Amino acid sequence: MEELDVEPPLTLIPGVDSKRKKLCFAWAPGEMLVYETLFPKECAEKRPGCPNIFIVRKDQDVYSQTLRKLFNESHGIFVGLQRSEEELAGKSRKAQLVRVSKNYRSVIRACMEEMHQLANSTRVPELQCQHSTQVSILSAMELIWNLCEILFVEAAPAGHLLLHLLDWVRLHVCDVDSMVHEVLSSENPSKHKDFWNAVDIFVLQGRMDDARHLLSKEASANPTSMGMCKILDDLMKKMPILSVGNTQTLTEMELKWQHWHEECQRYLQDGTFSSNLHMESICKILLGDENAILEKKELMTTWYHFLVTRLVYSHPTVKPVELRFYAQSSMDLFLGGESSWEPLDSILMAAFEFEIHQVIKECSIALSNWWFVAHLTDLLDHCKLLQSHNLYFGSNMREFLLLEYASGLFSHHSLWQLGVDYFDHCPEYGKVYLELHIERIPLNTEQKALKVLRICEQRQMHEQVRSICKIMAMKAVRNNRLGSALSWSIRAKDAAFATLISDRFLKDYCERGSFSDLDLIDNLGPSMLLSDRLTFLGKYREFHRLYGEKRFSEAAKLLLMLMTAHIAPCSFWMTLLTDALPLLEQKEVIFSAEQTYELMRCLEDLTAGKTDNQKLQVDDVETTKVEILRLALARNLARAIVKEGTLEGS
Amino acid sequence: MIHDAQMDYYGTRLATCSSDRSVKIFDVRNGGQILIADLRGHEGPVWQVAWAHPMYGNILASCSYDRKVIVWKEENGTWEKTYEYTGHDSSVNSVCWAPHDYGLILACGSSDGAISLLSYTGDGQWEIKKISNAHTIGCNAVSWAPAVVPGSLIDQPSGQKPNYIKRFASGGCDNLIKIWKEEDAQWKEEQKLEAHSDWVRDVAWAPSIGLPTSTIASCSQDGRVFIWTCDDASGNSWSPKLLHKFNDVVWHVSWSITANILAVSGGDNKVTLWKESVDGVWVCISDVNKGQGAVSAITEGQQNEQ
Repeated sequence: MEELDVEPPLTLIPGVDSKRKKLCFAWAPGEMLVYETLFPKECAEKRPGCPNIFIVRKDQDVYSQTLRKLFNESHGIFVGLQRSEEELAGKSRKAQLVRVSKNYRSVIRACMEEMHQLANSTRVPELQCQHSTQVSILSAMELIWNLCEILFVEAAPAGHLLLHLLDWVRLHVCDVDSMVHEVLSSENPSKHKDFWNAVDIFVLQGRMDDARHLLSKEASANPTSMGMCKILDDLMKKMPILSVGNTQTLTEMELKWQHWHEECQRYLQDGTFSSNLHMESICKILLGDENAILEKKELMTTWYHFLVTRLVYSHPTVKPVELRFYAQSSMDLFLGGESSWEPLDSILMAAFEFEIHQVIKECSIALSNWWFVAHLTDLLDHCKLLQSHNLYFGSNMREFLLLEYASGLFSHHSLWQLGVDYFDHCPEYGKVYLELHIERIPLNTEQKALKVLRICEQRQMHEQVRSICKIMAMKAVRNNRLGSALSWSIRAKDAAFATLISDRFLKDYCERGSFSDLDLIDNLGPSMLLSDRLTFLGKYREFHRLYGEKRFSEAAKLLLMLMTAHIAPCSFWMTLLTDALPLLEQKEVIFSAEQTYELMRCLEDLTAGKTDNQKLQVDDVETTKVEILRLALARNLARAIVKEGTLEGS
Repeated sequence: MIHDAQMDYYGTRLATCSSDRSVKIFDVRNGGQILIADLRGHEGPVWQVAWAHPMYGNILASCSYDRKVIVWKEENGTWEKTYEYTGHDSSVNSVCWAPHDYGLILACGSSDGAISLLSYTGDGQWEIKKISNAHTIGCNAVSWAPAVVPGSLIDQPSGQKPNYIKRFASGGCDNLIKIWKEEDAQWKEEQKLEAHSDWVRDVAWAPSIGLPTSTIASCSQDGRVFIWTCDDASGNSWSPKLLHKFNDVVWHVSWSITANILAVSGGDNKVTLWKESVDGVWVCISDVNKGQGAVSAITEGQQNEQ
């Protein structure tokens, strides 16, 4: 893309007084904050205040309820298209792509319907206006997409091209049915004021059968014109059309058409229809007389209808490359240089000229949301129609648009999940964009955090996984949910945090005598090894369990190991030794002599360490504890020596 | 008079600071505007606020004319002052948190020409490093480089902390932009970027999108905005490109999340948005100005008008 050829759009902020204040801003995820301030930042404290901050959003569409369905369903189609392998080649691939295109269009139409219902049912005038505008935008989108489908995806060749264009015009351009219905349901259809309009529009749209049907009403009501009607009816019946299943070649078709054209010419020149202006005009139309067709401007309403009608009656075997000339002249003739182009006109013109990039560019400018261009470009890319139009940063057009669209989705609290899939299919920058955006998703609930985590884990985004787990762990700690905090920090493989939380657990135990979140600690498994403190916590709990199950010798061994292997922090040794007391006091001797020696050594290490500093603060409770321990240890030692020295049996 | 407004990481909370010495925090979820906290502690107009990464909790830093930098933290649902730094001799103009990968580190730029780096070491303790005379006359802005692990293509063994090269950029009244790098626990001036002819008012280092290039935007009293790019990973050759010459002072530049849009505010009462085109030329894609338009407003509350 070269220079910007439109002025950058100006977005105005209400209520800001530009004479006195300057505008400053800050980025926010998905939107921008704008506020008034004064520069330079002088020390003057007493300045007139402006208390307002404005939130400016580029894309409001993301928040629309009805459009949400559009986003959701098109997402499904998009992903399906990316995943469909190119196993099929040639015709079947084309058919597949056409199907995809039709799917997109039906989604747009469904959305349009719903919007239309909303517009009709609401009583609020602004809402109604909003909905109606939205309906017309969607309608325009479908019109453009349909044309692109015919010209680019289907790439209809001469002959079929016109048939498709006729369908397009019939479907989109003007609503004949209501007028026809009125005419037919009246008492005397042929006397209805709109009768000839109805016939005319049928002819203009190449709907010969319908035109003939109406004409028969005239014939029956007006015997004098029956003759003329029969001839006209005959001409209409004989008009050669290339139907889809027809096997005749273009040349054959052209020949037939030439003959038919000449026949119509003869009748006109003979003055067969001269007594009935309406029928004469219809004959002229059949002959492709531009002026005659132009007279019916109000019925056709648009220059592209005029274009198709012209082609039907002057050049039905038009080739795709010839379209541009006819399109240009049709627009000039129809508009007659009075009205200026609307954006829709330039988009359609670009399409007729087969300037795909121009179409995309104009649509990007005209539409408020990237949805349309992103999906259409992706489809056209799959049709291998976009040369790699490399943008400066190496990304191609398709990826550029998809990135923009998906980024927009991330500002929405649930649509962001769709955005993930779009980023997945952007090979160059998708991953890094996802990384930058996914960090900004508010993790309001545990479920949401888990959802985000799953997405990151599936894509090996380890940094983000760690970051999210850390954030959740921190949140849990703030809310005093230690178990949750611990499991999050284990998931984050954050040793430091795990140590912190284990300390909290141990502190709680010392204060309350029991553990919280036993389930979690019991089932730590190998993650216990994340941090020394955590290992200690796990093992300590195991000790308590063993004790509870009365597996005293195992418990004793574990307890001792915790101290000798230095798994337990020194600060905790006193507690551990105190825990050993009941084991020492059991009737049965649990600690062997050797183990008792070990325990004694631990106790001595502990008390020796507390020499100079602590001796001054002699704690009665502490000294009593130590004395009791020494006593218990001595007694146990005695019993153990005796037990070990005694012969078994006898 | 609001001097700065910043949304938090998720766009759920808004912090504003003002010349009335207060720092206010609003909850702005679902279009609401609920005042959560009105923090008092500064003795002069507060110039800037900055949110830390959520993994450290809800932490906000503010800097003020009163030469103080205050770090506020939310504990048990209430916001409190958790640290106050008074090591500057003059107004502190800018604060910026480092990428979360480096830990909890805050850079502060002051009118006394020095830049302080406050690092949280745990248990309520902060370690201070000061770069004196970083800019003669004063430092107006600081901005951190995104965390990029050197040789990040090679997998780091898990559990080991990668060796980050910490860098940040600062802009000052000596018309220069300086790039600082940490080496052996000391901060050294790595580069001097000269292009402006008047005080540099703001610098912004663009987020990384995985390319080996680094990009910095700078704006100045001389009305110019430059985009500096450095192509090689070692950060040796920076080349400036003039974005635009405005008719008036440019005060603020900032990058969008994915660095594809640069927003500039300044002279002509507008906020302009810029995007890079195919051939590397920066073009203006939108103007934000005053008048009518569909936006929603947050009222900070009545200010005392004198």
